[in-house]
Amino acid sequence: MAERTLDCLGEACPVPLVKTQKALEEMAVGDVLIVNIDHSCAMKNIPDWARSVGHGVEIEEVGEGEWDIIIQKMK
Amino acid sequence: MQNETEKKLSFWEAYFKKEWSYTAGGVMLVILAVSLVVVTGKAWGVTGPFAVWGGKLFELFGVSAESLNFWAEGIATYDFFKDIVSMTDLGIVLGALLAVLLAASFKIKKMKSWRQVVAAVLGGVLMGIGARLALGCNIGSLFSALPAFSLHGWAFLLFFFLGAAVGSQMLKRYFM
Repeated sequence: MAERTLDCLGEACPVPLVKTQKALEEMAVGDVLIVNIDHSCAMKNIPDWARSVGHGVEIEEVGEGEWDIIIQKMK
Repeated sequence: MQNETEKKLSFWEAYFKKEWSYTAGGVMLVILAVSLVVVTGKAWGVTGPFAVWGGKLFELFGVSAESLNFWAEGIATYDFFKDIVSMTDLGIVLGALLAVLLAASFKIKKMKSWRQVVAAVLGGVLMGIGARLALGCNIGSLFSALPAFSLHGWAFLLFFFLGAAVGSQMLKRYFM
């Protein structure tokens, strides 16, 4: 089970979502992707998309205006 | 790590920290937009004053904007604090600041690359040109036009989607 971090700090929609989708395509089932974001819309559209395709999602606030979205690829 | 479904949210978390649902946001927008029409008699707009500010900027550099047809009306009589659209524009910025401070999420973001700067400036210029050619942005020419049953809102919507489709392909190809 691999873990990968994707730095999307300073990037606005829809860039973080598209990068997340691309990164997950390259990963194997069970792998974990940690996306660093500081754009609050990405905190909604990335988890919304990931849950809609069935991945496991958790959000962690790491600082003021900064979050990690932790996604486990499920299929 | 928090599990959103199990944890009971405090009042502050539920209303100021966590984002509102699209439905709650939409209902608030409608209430505010209707209130604006009731109080001021005019529908919500955003980009109109930008043209005036541009004209004022030209005048700083000695260009007589008032003598040009584009600015023939408005620029001489314009008063920032008496112009409703300018006031609502200021309100958007102050309101966004207030919301982000209440959520304790204020952050000055770093620029990631020159490519990102170019994309932002190019996008801003294109949006500015588009908003002036269409005599309004997605607020004045779409959000305020559709409830008024104005046909130009539907024309705007069609080309707005086409522009967004082209723009997102450009974003994917050149700026990511």
